[in-house]
Amino acid sequence: MPDFNVRSDSVNVDQIMEQIRARVREKRGVDYTEQQIRELAAVKLEKFLDPRGVRSDLLEQFRRLQPAYEPPELPNYAFEEATLFESHRAPIRWIRRLLQPILKLFFNPNPLIQALHIQSRLNTLNTESHAREQATRRGLDQLYFEVMHNLVIETTQLGIEVKNLKMRVESLASRLEFNERRARALESVVAYKPSSEGGTERAAVAAGPAPSQPGVAARPAPSQPGGAPEGPGQRSRHRRRRRGRRGGLPAAAIMSGSGPVVSTASGQGPSMGSGQGPSTGSGVSTGEATGAHTNTGESGGRPIDAESHPSAPHSEGPSPRPAQAGPAPIPGGTDTDEQ
Amino acid sequence: MKLAVVVQRYGQAVNGGAELHARYIAEHLARHAEVEVLTTCATDYVTWRNELAPGVEPVNGVPVRRFRVKHERDPQLFGRRSDCVFGERHSLGDELDWIDAEGPSSPALIDYLSKSVATYDYCLFFSYRYYVSYYGARATSPRAILVPTAERDAAIGLSMFQPVFRGVRALMYNSHEERAMIQRVSGNQDVAGVVVGIGSDVPQNPQPGRFRQKYNIHGPFAIYVGRIDRNKGCEELFEFFGGYVRDAPGRLSLVLIGNTLLPIPGDPRIRHLGFLDDADKFDAMAAADLLIMPSYFESLSMVTLEAWALGRPVVANGKCDVLKGQCIRSNAGLYYETYAEFLATLRALEQNRWLGGALGRNGRHFFRDNYHWPVIERKYLDMLGKLSREPAGRAMEPLPGWLERRRRVLPPGEEVVAGLPTGPSLALEREDPPPTYSRPPQLARSRS
Repeated sequence: MPDFNVRSDSVNVDQIMEQIRARVREKRGVDYTEQQIRELAAVKLEKFLDPRGVRSDLLEQFRRLQPAYEPPELPNYAFEEATLFESHRAPIRWIRRLLQPILKLFFNPNPLIQALHIQSRLNTLNTESHAREQATRRGLDQLYFEVMHNLVIETTQLGIEVKNLKMRVESLASRLEFNERRARALESVVAYKPSSEGGTERAAVAAGPAPSQPGVAARPAPSQPGGAPEGPGQRSRHRRRRRGRRGGLPAAAIMSGSGPVVSTASGQGPSMGSGQGPSTGSGVSTGEATGAHTNTGESGGRPIDAESHPSAPHSEGPSPRPAQAGPAPIPGGTDTDEQ
Repeated sequence: MKLAVVVQRYGQAVNGGAELHARYIAEHLARHAEVEVLTTCATDYVTWRNELAPGVEPVNGVPVRRFRVKHERDPQLFGRRSDCVFGERHSLGDELDWIDAEGPSSPALIDYLSKSVATYDYCLFFSYRYYVSYYGARATSPRAILVPTAERDAAIGLSMFQPVFRGVRALMYNSHEERAMIQRVSGNQDVAGVVVGIGSDVPQNPQPGRFRQKYNIHGPFAIYVGRIDRNKGCEELFEFFGGYVRDAPGRLSLVLIGNTLLPIPGDPRIRHLGFLDDADKFDAMAAADLLIMPSYFESLSMVTLEAWALGRPVVANGKCDVLKGQCIRSNAGLYYETYAEFLATLRALEQNRWLGGALGRNGRHFFRDNYHWPVIERKYLDMLGKLSREPAGRAMEPLPGWLERRRRVLPPGEEVVAGLPTGPSLALEREDPPPTYSRPPQLARSRS
């Protein structure tokens, strides 16, 4: 889609530029100047989110940078009745006192003296009041700073907590998804059969030979016709097993709450595949019929990556059998439904 | 009619903007009048060293009379005086000292003009800011016509030039923005003036294929033609184009033509071809998808006009009022002020081929209507005719006395310029009458 739209042969540059600017504003959200954008880009937001970036001694540093307030010593002339006529020289002081009556013949200095006296007192009061205000304000400043400091810490901690919670939610969501798929997969291979005693008894649909080891769940032989149909969760078994292995516990244990149900290294696990041919290279072959070993992931016996190629030899599985009718192997052996 | 063209340097090898402008005008007016060029012996605008012989010599058929420069420029002294008049409160004496330091100081040329002014009908002075124009216009004010070639720099804010702008007979402006700026600074609205500019001899049949083959250039590309210099906005251009290569999915390359004073980025999509002759330059411009003009300060961009003459759209720096105004008036170019706009304009032209074509067509019409040489010549001749019919106006204000020149009452030039209004002068343009300059008959015949 073009950046702008002018439906006319006679172009109007003003109009085009308006459209271009509108589009730029739309992309940016706000019409910042380049300088503003550079300033914004220069701010390291991580500094505020990273707890290591928060200085625990912020308040102390603030106090150290802001020394205790000392009110400045303002010149304040105390003005009394005799101030006008004072002098450090005694003769001058005497002459002034002598001539004071003559001065008073010309004008009356008393109102002036009184006014200056009042002014002097006002100056003193103002200075004291100002000093008190300053002290109060600085106290409040420190309080504000402390509050801000606490807020920064709280915000940082909250940010970290939110991050942790997000990760936990994600982890839980993935585990839930895994469990759901696991449940669906098991539902597809387990049939409920009413027992003769009136109760229900769970029995595995075992169309193939019986399990060769006790305690191993019965599994159908995929090569046999009439085997169990492919269940809905079958295709994504590989991912489930991977996740199960990451989770630490075998998937079967998670599902049943007991120990592992299948012995995977022997290639006798519960095969759910039916004639999918040789290993697709997904790291999970579909049982004996595929001619490859079964790796459920829980066994941890073989790295998944090592199975990524169909021609990779197996030393621990049963002897491979030729593949039956099934899809051709996918070159490169990628797990197409998972990646 | 006898005309004197006065300019600080002159010659075929002199390629400065105002000097080239003066040469083109002198050569074209020489077809209609007797023209003599008065200039200095200098060719280097940094030193003003006398490198050519004084006397008269013809250049492309135009007689050129050269005068010696009294002293070369002292860069340190010039820098100090520039700092004083541009950045501090100063006196008129400081400004006169500044122009003396700037040069080219040639009292011989001014003496000659003063004595022989009567032999010329009019004297055309190019570039207001040099010694020869300032004192020459003062010496010949009733016959002086100024082609200011003014840019929005601190010099235009100096008080010494205001009487000159008010005292000459006429001004031939390069752009509407220049006229608005000078009128605002000096209040010379009553002085005759016209926006003229300059034409260009663009070849009719450029060969873009030849250029691509010669320089092995494939694919779409944008072109920059001119000195590759920080003052021309090339640093910003490299930064923006690097961002375009990095951020935008476009295919444009950048081809640079001209001598460089900057290191060229090592990006394979930026090609520097150096200085090319005119034929290759025009072929390259014809081969390009668009021209980028990143300069912040232009009185008149000839390259832009040439691109329009070749039907190519232009992407100009919108911070330059003149370029922006020309783009809007011509409807032939887009402009950018920020990186985002740079990207958007390039992408707009790249994704909409019809837009580039429409802008190019508009540019071709704009050039033909306003900057075709017959139009330029007609504007000059009309102005000369008008001045011949009208009596000279007021005389130029004389320089004040010694004491008055020493009063430090003048504001810094930068402060004055900062106070000037910015932006293209579109309102003024709308007030102007539409161009009605008739083409010479021979041109009309050839078109028919």
